Amino acid sequence: MTTEIVLMWAALTCYVVATALFVFGVTFTKEKLIHNGLLASALGLLPQLAALGVRWARVGHGPYIGYYEVANGLTLFVVAFFAIGAWRNRRLSAAGIAIMPVAVLLLGGAMLASKTGLPLTPNLASYWLFIHVAFANLAFAAFVASFGLAIAYVIRARSASGTWAERLKRLPAQDVVSELTTRFVLAGFLFWGIMIVSGAIWANQAWGRYWGWDPIETWSLIVWIIYAVYLHVRFTLGWRGERLAWFAIIAMPVSLFALLGTPVVFNSVHGGYIGGVDG
Amino acid sequence: MIRGVLRKVVAFLRSAGLAAGLMVFVGVWSMLATFVPQGDISNPEVAAWASAHAAVEPFVRFLGLHQAFSALLFRLGVFALAVATALCAWQRTRVALARMQTLKEAAIADEASVSAVHDLEIVCDPGLSATDVISRTADTLEHLGIRTKRRGDVLVAVSRRWAVWGSPVFHWGLVLLILAIFVGGLQRSEGLMGVAVGETKPDAPASYGTLRSGPLHDWGRVHRSIRVDAFDTDFRSGNLDRGPTPTVSVLDAGGRVIKKQPVYPNSPLQSGSLTIHPSEFGFAATLSVMNASGVEFGRATQLIDISQTATEGTVPVGALTVSNEAGTGQLSVFATVPMDRVNGQLALPQERVARVSVRASDGRPVLDRVMRPGEEMALPAGDTLRLDSIGFYARLNIVDDPTIPLLYAALAVAMMGLTLTVVARQQIVLATAIEGENGLRLVATLRLWRNVPTNRNEIESQLATALRGDEEDVS
Ligand code: HEM
Repeated sequence: MTTEIVLMWAALTCYVVATALFVFGVTFTKEKLIHNGLLASALGLLPQLAALGVRWARVGHGPYIGYYEVANGLTLFVVAFFAIGAWRNRRLSAAGIAIMPVAVLLLGGAMLASKTGLPLTPNLASYWLFIHVAFANLAFAAFVASFGLAIAYVIRARSASGTWAERLKRLPAQDVVSELTTRFVLAGFLFWGIMIVSGAIWANQAWGRYWGWDPIETWSLIVWIIYAVYLHVRFTLGWRGERLAWFAIIAMPVSLFALLGTPVVFNSVHGGYIGGVDG
Repeated sequence: MIRGVLRKVVAFLRSAGLAAGLMVFVGVWSMLATFVPQGDISNPEVAAWASAHAAVEPFVRFLGLHQAFSALLFRLGVFALAVATALCAWQRTRVALARMQTLKEAAIADEASVSAVHDLEIVCDPGLSATDVISRTADTLEHLGIRTKRRGDVLVAVSRRWAVWGSPVFHWGLVLLILAIFVGGLQRSEGLMGVAVGETKPDAPASYGTLRSGPLHDWGRVHRSIRVDAFDTDFRSGNLDRGPTPTVSVLDAGGRVIKKQPVYPNSPLQSGSLTIHPSEFGFAATLSVMNASGVEFGRATQLIDISQTATEGTVPVGALTVSNEAGTGQLSVFATVPMDRVNGQLALPQERVARVSVRASDGRPVLDRVMRPGEEMALPAGDTLRLDSIGFYARLNIVDDPTIPLLYAALAVAMMGLTLTVVARQQIVLATAIEGENGLRLVATLRLWRNVPTNRNEIESQLATALRGDEEDVS
C-alpha cells in the first residue's frame, strides 16, 4: 500500500507542477514553460500507471470500484488524452491551463478518499465492467478536452484589452479551436454512447433488463442528450462562438456529476462502483 | 390543400428547432424524474414525498412525474422525437446521396473541370512557376493536415464515398432503436416465479408471482417448464463467491431438459428468447396431511421469504389451505423458518426448524408450534399435519423477449454510424495552377464538410501567404 501511495503522491505532484507551469507559461508567454507543463503532465502518468498496476495486482481488479479508484481512472484518462493530443498537435498545449486543474482536483479528491480495496461483487464480475468503465473514462477525457478548449476560447474572446488573446496566441485560430471543441464533443459523445450501450447489454446479462430508469442510467442518458443538443445547435441551428463554448463548459461538470455524484446523491442499484450501495 | 398541410406538418417535424426542443424536453423531464420518487401513490416513499411537498404535488401528479417514464406526456415527447428523427434520417440520407454524387464527380475531376468550376482563386507571385505553385500548395495543405495526391496537374484530396454515410446511418439506427424498444414492450414478458428445489413449474401466467407481459406475447405458444434442481447458498466459480445460486433447468413440452445450469449474476440461463436470472431466495417447507388411519391425502409446499422486518426474519408467501378429508372445515396453515442473528444481522439458521401456525377460517389461532422435519402435529378434526422437509426456493426473474437481437442490432447500427461520423473525413480538395491574363493563378475547389483538421479561412490565408509572398489579404 505504501509504495502505491508514494507513487500516487508523485503523480499528483507532477500534475500540480504541470498546472503551475501552464499558468506561468501562459501568463508570461513563456513557450518553454508551457512545453515543460506538457512534459510534467506526461511524466506524472508514469507513477500513476505504476501505482494503479501495483494496486491491480494487490486487489485483483482494475480501478473500477470505490471513489478513489474511479476518480483515479478518470484522471489517468484525462491526462493521457490531453498529453497525447497535445503531443501530436503542440499548438494545443496551452489548453493544459484549463485541463490540468481538473485532473488535479479529481486526483486530489481521490487522495482524500478511502483507499481500501473493495472486492469485486458477483454483480460486477464481468468483462463488460472493463469495457463499460474504459469508455466512460475515454468519454470523460474527451469532454474535459472540449471543456479546456472552450475555456481557452472564451478567455480569448473576452479579452477586451487583447492581453489574454496575446497570451494564448499559440493556440490555433479561434474558429479552429471552436471546431476542435466540437470534434472532442463528438468523440466524447461516441464514447459515452458506447458506455451506455455496453452498460445496457451488461444490465441485460446481469439482471435481465437492459434499461430500468435507475438514476445512474437516467443521468448517463441526460448527459448524452445534453451533448446531442450541443451537436444539434452547432450543426443544425448554426450556433458558434462564445455561446457554443459556454455550452461545452457547462456540460462537462454534468458528466462528472453523472459519473461520481449520482451514486452519492441517489439510491441506485448501480451504486456499488462507488462503494456506497452494493451494486 | 391536404398536401399543403401535410407538407407543413412534415416541415415542422423535421425542423432543427423542434428536434433540439424535444431533446431538451426528454432531458429535463428525465432530470426532474430523478428527484421525484417513482411509483404509485400507494408506495410509502411516494406518499411521504407527496405530503412533504404538498405545494407542488398536484402539479407533479398532473404531469405524471411520479411514473415519469410511462407518463403520457413523456411517451408523446419520445414519439414525436422518433418521428422527427425518422424524417431527419431521411433528409440525412438525401444529403448523403447528394454528397456521394459530388464526391464521385470530384474523383474524376481534371484540370479542365477545375479550371471551369472552382470556388477559390489566388493570384500567385509572378516569380513562381506552375510547378512551384503546385508543390507549395501541396506543402501548405499537408502542413494543415490535408494530404493531397497529384493527378496530372491537379492536386486531389477527395474522401471515399462511404464516408458520408455516418450521420444517416446513425440517425436511422436511433429510429430502429426506438422501434425495437417499442416492439419489445409489446412482445416482452417479464416476471418473478418462485420455484422450490426439486419442483417443476409450467412457464404459464399462473406460475408467476408478479408478471408483466405485453399484449403481443402469445402464452399459447409457450410449452415449457422450469425446474430448480439444486440450490447453493455460497456458490463459488472463477475464484469468486457468486452468492446464493440455484441450478435451473428448462424443460420442453415432453419434459426433456433443453438447458440446465447454475444461474448467478452475470451468468443467466439463456435459451432462445428466454433469459433466467436469480432474483431472491427463501425457504420452502413441504407439509402433508394424513387422515386418522395415517393415509396421506394432501401435500403442499409453502414458500417463505427472508425479511429484515419480520420478528423471526421470515414471512410466509401466502398461506396453505388444509381441508379435512371430507372437504369440510378449512384451516389456513402458515410456516416460517426462524433465522439466526449474528451481530444483529440475519443469518441462515444453524438448525432449520419451522414455526407452523394453523388458523381457523375466521382467522382464530388454532395451533402454533415449532417443528423439525419429520415431526407431526394433530389437527382438531383428527387429521395429522406433518412437516416433511425444509429446503430452499429460488425466486427467478424470467424474461422472454424475442426482440433483444433487434435491439442489439439497432444499437450496433447506431454506434457504427456514429463511429463513422466521428472518424471519417468528408472533404473535397481540388487545386491546380492556371495561366490567365494576370499571370499564374491557383484555382481550387474546397468542400470541407466534416472532420477536416483545418478550415477554409486557414487554408485561404496560408495559401495566400505561401503563394503571394508577403501579401496577407485573401478575398
Ligand atoms: C434521438 C435524437 C437524436 C440524436 C441523439 C441525434 C444526434 C446527433 C448527433 C450526435 C449529430 C452529430 C453527428 C452527425 O452528424 O451525425 C447529429 C447531427 C445532425 N442531426 Fe441529429 N440526432 C437526433 C435526432 C435528430 C432529429 C430529430 C433531427 C432533425 C432536425 C436531426 C438532424 C440532424 C442534422 C441535420 C445533423 C447535422 C448533420 C451534419 O451536418 O452533417 N437529428 N445528430
